[in-house]
Amino acid sequence: MISEEFEFRAPTKLAEALSLLERYGDDAKILAGGMSLVPMMTLGLVRPKTVISFNHITDLNFVIDAKDVIRIGAMTRHDTVAHHDLIKKHLPLLATAAVGIGDVQVRHRGTIGGSLAHADPAADYPPVMLVAGAQFRIQSAKGDRMVKAAEFFTGLMQTAVGAGEVLSEIHVPKLPAGAGSAYLRLHRVEGSFPIVNAAAVIEKGFKSARVAIGGVGESAVMIDVTKHLSKGVSDQSLRAISDAAYDASGDAYGDLNGDTEYRRAMARVYAQRVIKAAAAQIR
Amino acid sequence: MKYIGKGIPGKNNQILTAGKGTFVGDITLPGMCHLAVVRSPYAHARIKSIDTSAAEQVPGVITTITGEEIVRNTKPIPTHSSALGEKKFQFYALAIGKARYVGEPVAAVVAEDRFTAKRGAELINVIYEDLPPVVDAEKALEAGSALVVDEWGDNILSSRIEVHGDPDARIKAAAGTVRGDVRTQRYTGCSIEPRGYIASYDRYRAKLTLWASTQSPHSLRLFLSETLGLRESQIQVIEPHVGGAFGLKLPTFPEEPLICYLAIKLERPVRWIEERTENLLAGGHAREMRLAFEAGYEKDGRVTALKVRLLADVGAPSALCGWGMANVAAFLIPAVYKIPDVKVERITVVTNKCPWNAYRAYGKEASMLMLERMMDMVAERTGLDRAEVRLRNFIQPNEFPYKQVSGASLDSGNYQRVLASALEAADWSGFPALQASAKKRGELIGIGLAYELTPEGGCIPKSSLLSAYDGTRVQVSPKGEVTIMTGVTSPGCGNETGIAQIVADELGVSPDIITVVQGDTDTCPFGLGNSSSRSVIFGGSAAKLAAGELRDKMSRVAARMLEVSPEDLELDGGKIVVKGAPSRSVSFADVASTIYRDAFTLAACDEEPGLDTTRYFRHGNFDAMNKQPDPEGRLNFYSTWPNGATIAVVRVDIETGMVTVLRLLSVHDAGVLINPMLVNANLHGAFAQSLGGALFENLVYDEAGQLQTASFMDYTMPTAVDLPNFETKHEETPSPFNPLGAKGAGESGISGPMAAVAGAIDDALRQAGLSVHVMEMPLTPNRVWKYIVAAKNAQRGNPQ
Amino acid sequence: MKTPVEVTVNKKKYKVEVDTRMILADMLREELRLTGTHIGCGTGNCGACTVVLNGETVKSCCIIAADANGQEITTIEGLSSSATELHPIQQAFVENQGLQCGYCTPGMVLSTLQLLKDNPNPTEDEIRHGISGNLCRCTGYQFIVQSIQDAAKRLSNGGQPGASQ
Repeated sequence: MISEEFEFRAPTKLAEALSLLERYGDDAKILAGGMSLVPMMTLGLVRPKTVISFNHITDLNFVIDAKDVIRIGAMTRHDTVAHHDLIKKHLPLLATAAVGIGDVQVRHRGTIGGSLAHADPAADYPPVMLVAGAQFRIQSAKGDRMVKAAEFFTGLMQTAVGAGEVLSEIHVPKLPAGAGSAYLRLHRVEGSFPIVNAAAVIEKGFKSARVAIGGVGESAVMIDVTKHLSKGVSDQSLRAISDAAYDASGDAYGDLNGDTEYRRAMARVYAQRVIKAAAAQIR
Repeated sequence: MKYIGKGIPGKNNQILTAGKGTFVGDITLPGMCHLAVVRSPYAHARIKSIDTSAAEQVPGVITTITGEEIVRNTKPIPTHSSALGEKKFQFYALAIGKARYVGEPVAAVVAEDRFTAKRGAELINVIYEDLPPVVDAEKALEAGSALVVDEWGDNILSSRIEVHGDPDARIKAAAGTVRGDVRTQRYTGCSIEPRGYIASYDRYRAKLTLWASTQSPHSLRLFLSETLGLRESQIQVIEPHVGGAFGLKLPTFPEEPLICYLAIKLERPVRWIEERTENLLAGGHAREMRLAFEAGYEKDGRVTALKVRLLADVGAPSALCGWGMANVAAFLIPAVYKIPDVKVERITVVTNKCPWNAYRAYGKEASMLMLERMMDMVAERTGLDRAEVRLRNFIQPNEFPYKQVSGASLDSGNYQRVLASALEAADWSGFPALQASAKKRGELIGIGLAYELTPEGGCIPKSSLLSAYDGTRVQVSPKGEVTIMTGVTSPGCGNETGIAQIVADELGVSPDIITVVQGDTDTCPFGLGNSSSRSVIFGGSAAKLAAGELRDKMSRVAARMLEVSPEDLELDGGKIVVKGAPSRSVSFADVASTIYRDAFTLAACDEEPGLDTTRYFRHGNFDAMNKQPDPEGRLNFYSTWPNGATIAVVRVDIETGMVTVLRLLSVHDAGVLINPMLVNANLHGAFAQSLGGALFENLVYDEAGQLQTASFMDYTMPTAVDLPNFETKHEETPSPFNPLGAKGAGESGISGPMAAVAGAIDDALRQAGLSVHVMEMPLTPNRVWKYIVAAKNAQRGNPQ
Repeated sequence: MKTPVEVTVNKKKYKVEVDTRMILADMLREELRLTGTHIGCGTGNCGACTVVLNGETVKSCCIIAADANGQEITTIEGLSSSATELHPIQQAFVENQGLQCGYCTPGMVLSTLQLLKDNPNPTEDEIRHGISGNLCRCTGYQFIVQSIQDAAKRLSNGGQPGASQ
């Protein structure tokens, strides 16, 4: 039960929302799907003075083919991300990541923008965003800027979105023709947050290869593994990737689902598994 | 037409599926206000002062209350039994002097609405002096440990050493020994409906009514009567629909007298619906036990001696009945096995964690896990098949009733037949071939076997909660409608349907015309509610006796109406029929009508008017074998002894430690099954909670005594995806000590799967050449991975 | 702080003033007296509060009541006119013992409604995934899965019980 009183605002236009954000600043919390914010308010962990709902702003809910990129509105629900034809065709690993989030009801309400802005260290989207080279559109009453995925996640549940700003769109480059990709997660029970997760994209002919791993640091880590795969997937290349994953997860945390050593060991396992899975998808 | 043995869906299914059930939270009363509880944020702290003034200034706050007012105006909450040798403590509705666990009620606020009450509670300023907490049972035993209860001088609630024979000498003489250290983690039932109460006081009748999400309304009334200083007749406890309980809604929680006291004081209805975090902090925990064992065996696989040290961490002292689970865990050893020389040392320790409350299986699961791990190890050492080792140690079918060394009086069983049936159903001997072909595919699979004994119908001397009897009243109305009022209750487990089937068979009517009334102290006979699978055994047996008396009376009247002898009649299909002459009959309704409306006709004039009988049934297992206590001073805690064999097949991912249960099969003996569909339903639920404990669920405290898993975001429970399709079969070995032959099936299925999965994990890892004996629950991926890493390291360090 | 909310619930329009602290489940239960929607955890994990919002199932404990303004909602009470005239899905649950205590049941039934709308002929695995947002502590899910299999048959058979399995 939420115990402290707050003001509730539900603008219908983005411009109106941005001016409210400017006015309330840090006193306001943006309510997207609410799958994290509302429970945190119920538990008394977050006590905003004002809640600004973005659920009535219809022009932030879209998936658009924009030549080389797919543009996704921040208020697009996970269920749409999971099943949209454009995403399934051009970014199958993103659809896979969305399908694994929570459960049917959570996917109906939770949003891609809300999840990314919440920046949980083991969330499903960040590794995908890193390997796909996504860019994030951040708007405020005064500005409109694009931030690269690598610069968007700035720390534990921290992003580049500042006071008065909102993540409004995600631009994800379409995978190159013939590229292989994959997304995998290790979890305790269906729908729970991953212990670790991993995404990979490998260009046809192994021209480039990237793997990103979540759950092993304050935010997901990306490793360029092109050099290890110059001769394709082999036991030797997988061992090198495994070692690289272990090295990249030196800041792994420990929690109820996995201690630090386990997470680092799983970084090895999942880096190899996701590379194998992605390589198998190369056409 | 007979109804016993038929799988009839639950009588409440329609209304509940329609969303039109009435749970406590669905009830509103005129003028109702709302309670919020201030809970200790510290595991162990002295309460220096409480300032309620800020809360009282919030508009809408009606009153605040602290422990001082409670002590002045109520008596201590009684404990459930005084016969088990535990240390004494005075429990009140609010903490007095010290808070002993995070979540303990310290003060409370009543307000016009829930939000204001909760906000008010946040504004109560309690000044605490933080004391060092006791959070680990082993450390609690160390000299110089902080004390949970200062006056006790140590942290031991109770302890006992039971020795039968000379286990030390036998172990020395044995061909071999096995040792292990089994640990079950702290976890709990988490019914999806949390606790909740509404208390209302009628000044004109001087009567308190409490609607409670409870399992035991009469026991609760008795406890409230003593705590509040009211006559029992001044209190009515009503149990509306209850959204799951599993033992954890047994009285007495501090909130129960608290809300009643406030309703009387304010002369207004007060409601409290627990939030999930409160439930996880203060709604009762269970299971945290450590059983270190050493057993001696002979070459033929017989276990000849067993020594166990059982250490239970029961959390803070409380008036709840949970701590008795440690006693039962010790009492049950050696269960289905004939081990002549046994020593069990039990130490029950209090800590600054949430108190235990009863939880389904009530300690049986811990000793079963220990015994089955032991048997697996003996099989491995002797090279015998795991099933064969168990067969060589079982009590024989012709030995029942069997007196165990512990004092347990086992009513009936045929473990050999149950095990054989399970092995056949699972194709136990065909598994190695499956395992080999899985290994070729790169999959590690394993099979595990466990035998469980899950005694039911608990009975403790001098107890207000548990005894081996209950009462049921059966009425037939002038229209021939049947109403059953019983002292047993159904928080969602289906006994109302089973009891209706029993009465239907006695009276020859359909269960559809039978109304079952439960959970109302003003309507139902005194009884001890729902726990320990007692409802069908005792409530059902009492119903059979009561309905049998009505049947005899109606037969006598019908005999006069039909001009035959009562012995020539049978009741069936809503009629009373002359045997062998189906055309000669009177309807059940006509006979009822005659008794009420024609009491002075020839047919009815020799009978007392009315069709209304209350009978109490006491279980024969105590009369026949075992006066309490027996000449050796031992108690028998249980009436009936259901048992079963469980076989689990798992897949283990050797890289991640992830365990997937592929198959779970159980053959179970609950005696005569009244309703096989509902028995299976209960077993399935138990399997889910067992696998939850084996693989997923864990209540974790940090060193400061803060609960790390205080919401469902962190307390991990299995979803439908995480569980397999269960297979069940039944063998029926009736209990000779009750007229139904039923043995109960409410707790069965908790112990077996956990132990079978543990054995299956060991078996899977053996395929990878690793020697592992998993002992510590839950078997999360992280923990199994650690076992794998340790086994690999041991192998490297010790190449053979 | 109060805020006005207009919603359509089970095809009926309501205008209420709610405390902004209310979640949607509270509003349905306390303001509209539709108590079939239950609250089990308050954190979006158990699914007892599942309702249909604009045609899709959601967890009503994770939605601020005021945010439902202008929306269309179906609760368990919207599925059947009375406790004796049940929807085929409900009837399948009743007959297959797809419940015990009944507390999670309204959410389970609505998740089934969604599942069978999206996938009228689901496999057992698809059924288990379809209800993975609904926790049940009584049944081990098995008879719920069987109820849903039966419900799928009933729905493809005009609401009548399907051929036996």
